[in-house]
Amino acid sequence: MTAVRLNINGKVIADDVPPRLSLADFLRERRNLTGTHLGCEHGVCGACTVLVDGEPARSCLMLAVACDERDVATIEGFAADRVIEALRRNFHQHHALQCGFCTPGMLVTARDLILRGKASSEREIREGLAGNICRCTGYTNIVTAIAEAAKETPHG
Amino acid sequence: MADEGYGVGASLLRREDDRHLHGRGQFVSDIKLPGTMDVAFLRSPHAHARIRSISVPPEGRGRVFTAADLPRVKPIRVTSHSTGAKSPPWPPLATDKVRYVGEAIAACIAPSRGEAEDLANAVSVEFEVLEAVVDAARDMRGSRHTVHEHWADNLYIEHVLQGGDIDAAARAAEIVVTREFRMQRQSGAPLECRGVLAYRDHRLDEVVLYASTQTPHTVRVALAEILDLEERCIRVVAPDVGGGFGPKARLYPEEIILAALALELDHPVRWIEDRSEHLLTAAHTRDHHYKVTAYADGRGGILGVDAEIVVDAGAYGLWPQGPYHEAGMVARALPGPYTIPNYRAKHYTVATNKTPLGPYRGVGRPGACFVIERLIDEVARAVGREPNEVRVMNLARPEQMPFTTIGGMRLDGGNYAESVRLCAELLNIPAIRVRQQRGEPDGRMIGIGFATFAEQTAHGAAEFAARGASIIPGFESCTARILTDGSIVLMVGIQSHGQGLETALSQVAAEELGINPARISVRHGDTESTAFGFGTFASRSMVMSGGAVARASRMLRDKLCRIGAHLLQCDIAEVRCADGVVSGPQGSVSIGEIAKVAHLRMDGLPPGVDPLLDATATYEPAIGTGVYSYATHGAVVAVDPETGFVELIDFAVAEDCGTMVNPMLVEGQIRGGVVQGIGTALYEEIPYDETGQPLVGTLADYLMPGAAEMPAIKIGHLHTPTPHTEYGMKGMGEGGAVAPPAAIANAVRDALAAIGAEINETPISPRRVLAAIKRAREAAAKA
Amino acid sequence: MKAPVVEYIRPGSVTEAIDLLAQARGEARVIAGGQSLVAMMNLRVASPGLLIDIARLPELTAVSEEPDAVTLGACVTHAAIEDGKVADPSCGLMPRAAASLAYRAIRTRGTIGGSLALSDPAAEWPAVLTALDAEVTLCGPSGWRTLKCTEFVTGIFETKLASDEVIASVRVPKLSADARWGYLKLCRKSGEFASALAVVVTDRGRGFSRVVLGVANGAPLVLEEASRVVAEARGDEVGGAVAGDLDRAADRLFDEFQRNLHIVTAMRTVQQVLQ
Repeated sequence: MTAVRLNINGKVIADDVPPRLSLADFLRERRNLTGTHLGCEHGVCGACTVLVDGEPARSCLMLAVACDERDVATIEGFAADRVIEALRRNFHQHHALQCGFCTPGMLVTARDLILRGKASSEREIREGLAGNICRCTGYTNIVTAIAEAAKETPHG
Repeated sequence: MADEGYGVGASLLRREDDRHLHGRGQFVSDIKLPGTMDVAFLRSPHAHARIRSISVPPEGRGRVFTAADLPRVKPIRVTSHSTGAKSPPWPPLATDKVRYVGEAIAACIAPSRGEAEDLANAVSVEFEVLEAVVDAARDMRGSRHTVHEHWADNLYIEHVLQGGDIDAAARAAEIVVTREFRMQRQSGAPLECRGVLAYRDHRLDEVVLYASTQTPHTVRVALAEILDLEERCIRVVAPDVGGGFGPKARLYPEEIILAALALELDHPVRWIEDRSEHLLTAAHTRDHHYKVTAYADGRGGILGVDAEIVVDAGAYGLWPQGPYHEAGMVARALPGPYTIPNYRAKHYTVATNKTPLGPYRGVGRPGACFVIERLIDEVARAVGREPNEVRVMNLARPEQMPFTTIGGMRLDGGNYAESVRLCAELLNIPAIRVRQQRGEPDGRMIGIGFATFAEQTAHGAAEFAARGASIIPGFESCTARILTDGSIVLMVGIQSHGQGLETALSQVAAEELGINPARISVRHGDTESTAFGFGTFASRSMVMSGGAVARASRMLRDKLCRIGAHLLQCDIAEVRCADGVVSGPQGSVSIGEIAKVAHLRMDGLPPGVDPLLDATATYEPAIGTGVYSYATHGAVVAVDPETGFVELIDFAVAEDCGTMVNPMLVEGQIRGGVVQGIGTALYEEIPYDETGQPLVGTLADYLMPGAAEMPAIKIGHLHTPTPHTEYGMKGMGEGGAVAPPAAIANAVRDALAAIGAEINETPISPRRVLAAIKRAREAAAKA
Repeated sequence: MKAPVVEYIRPGSVTEAIDLLAQARGEARVIAGGQSLVAMMNLRVASPGLLIDIARLPELTAVSEEPDAVTLGACVTHAAIEDGKVADPSCGLMPRAAASLAYRAIRTRGTIGGSLALSDPAAEWPAVLTALDAEVTLCGPSGWRTLKCTEFVTGIFETKLASDEVIASVRVPKLSADARWGYLKLCRKSGEFASALAVVVTDRGRGFSRVVLGVANGAPLVLEEASRVVAEARGDEVGGAVAGDLDRAADRLFDEFQRNLHIVTAMRTVQQVLQ
């Protein structure tokens, strides 16, 4: 067991974990933050995407121990985040989710696209979503929702 | 239809969204119970082998369970009433033999999944490897090796469907087009893999299973039978389910084993499938081979179709329907919505040493559509006409409705030719032709292709009985309950796993009762709190469950009116129920007030009226053979003839599903289905080698369509309500996945017309495109 | 699947990391971004006994610039290169290649050193760095050594990196202002591993031209004849040169489809440069 300290959604958490435990399993099993989902555990599907030190990362490919002293933001956070609020509202308005399994990872990725100014065209948004698989929606409405949210929050 | 924009026809936003947008969904793996131990399955590395011995290391004593350790577990047995059907017993944990790579041999239990996998790796199994049957077309008969040793061959079932006189058609034909087609094996691959959490509830004397399933009630039926328990002692709950699409509409060995372990061990046990496990062991899908000949006259009128259909169904039958329906469904759907007068389809469902085959969005229809729509295009080319002209020429016409096709599909109505026209308009064929003439600066070749189909939906007793099914999902149920404050709960037997039925069904109740859907809860997926129903699959839920909701709501409405009239001291004929109140000539009373009387002040009830506001209704459409949605899909592709890469640059759907309860949800289903169809058309396959090893195991090599490869999908609607259902609605959930492979293959054919290359196999990979181009060039050189 | 049992340590310096590697006698692996290594552990195709986390070592994330080269620490991430957050010696080629690598969430953690150490034949960095004539500096118990990228990668997942060594940095010669480059990654799905990959660099100022193929069933394949043809701008001879180079690489055992794809990719990339 190895000691770790992480800042998760603004709260400092200290724990002792086996080194092999992924950040995703740490969040889900030890912190009961089950909004981050596991769809493949090989880094392709994007369902596990969280922010680590402000940047999107695959929580399935990060070891919890390697996140020592890092800031982690999950879907359960973003309390006063304007971009996430705009995204949530537009996802709802434009029917951009069906089963909901890809949605947390999709929102985290979309927020990052908007903040980096990579959501200004349909093409750009689609390329930016390459790492987030949705099996249900066919993507059209997700792209629309992100484009609309980006218009509402031009400077993040 | 609805006054306030929340009844049938309203694009009401979904109540499901809130929890998912905040990461508060509750999928099986999100549910935590104290004391839970994780399960990992030890699985066969061989396609076909005898198990000689299993050695459990000392640290595994009491934590590794083989078939011998769970004697109460009976084999899974699918019953089919079709003539000649053979049904192998399937022990949930292998006994003497394993018959596909991934077959479960032992359940290993530990405090975490990682430790359970460590334990599984420490168990050693001695195998005697046997020859594997992997070529369905070649080895269905006469092979030295059988998957099931007491069978004389490798056929689950074979059958011939015919109508008219195909030999006469062959003799009369001016045009004969013969082709082989292939749909490669693939996975349904919902984003959430399977999962089961099982425990014993001593207070209720039940074993409880949370399972990522589309069909909780029938899972309970099976568990009771296999574990020799009464159903009242089993509860199955499908919580949030992250996509199903068909593969989760079947009973799995893992569900049985987890239930058995929960009973044995008296602490919760959990099995959460990972992606590699899913690609290996969850139902595989499609895997069809066809040899088909179309006979036509000189104008392209199809005189007859003669088909041989082989379905590679893997090693066992998935309960309840087994593999018996897929090939038959292909056979019935293959003549399409066309007026083809002569037909013969010989179909073979073959056992192989591969993962069992299950249903996946469209089931037999994508393959059937692929075949007939490619043939229509080839017949058109043979007679020198535009494919859509030949398509329209052969389609059943509105004045012929209801029209029963030679395959036995009773089309209830619609204007199929109009869907072709509308789809073509959405894609602007003339502009595409101009672009083709001009040529592309990068040397790619543009093509446009179409495909039309009819989708049988909400089929009931008649259809399933004809398929020889022993379980007939011929109805759905709803218990509608108004609580003492006037709020409403609908308890339904279907299971919504992305379709938005919690919203759509509340719209139906809102339509009947005049209550805002915000005051209506929909409970589904739990055998404890819902009347018996079959679950969500076969494009049935909106029609079947919606119909039950409508009936139950009307029963409640009638009772509300009776009580309301009494409270208003007027005649029942003078009251109406709308906007949350029952109003009469002299006033109104709210549903809440009526509910109070019905529960808390039953002294206020009219004579002869019992307390409670509870109604249970079942529903089946007036016709058991299904109501038929239909559509034409169109695809525009750019093919790079040097690399074989295909880019999809436009896609359109012109569809008709009758009355749409929630148009927004309908379009969501269409687009989701289309992208799955595109996955089948261009990306997804699980090939096997000659020893029965699957060659794809992760999402790095199992390619799933991503946003960057998809066009925005255009949709146009036609509206032909059916007379056979509530509100005239039809099912439509699967249709999106049916036509893309055909439309895209036709588009590629059009793009490469100058070369003469055809690709009649999915997925249309760069390798296959280049091989087809090479074949065409070599053929042209010889000619 | 879940990763097998492993131990983990985060040393405070490269020297400490190397000592730990040496002590572990082949049972340890360094981990930087972990984007390949953890994926392999999750699939149980890698089970190191000990992970030595070097991701945060300042020596390995440092970037230094000389007049004629930029040296990137091994743990510089793909995203840092993509975003132009570090000096770019390649007139935009490296950011372009970085942006095509997997997905953003992978790029924020994955490192250039990690990619080189693994040398997946379908990877971008080995081919790009070969085309740029970069050098790799390794650090081990007996000190430092520097190899050309062309020497460093020897085959499929094979490099000259010893089990007790760590990649410290990559030194990339700067392209002249008028240098030209071409880059083409062919893949069916955005972000997946390449089906074909070609990189062309031509720098008259330094008298350097190189055409490199990735996905080459081995180390990145330098097309010598094609490189000469590009240097001399003999555009109509490219096809023949590429075909000849592939004939000479018969040991790579390309099937017809692969060979064909390589030719097309190489020619299109050369087109980017010669136009």
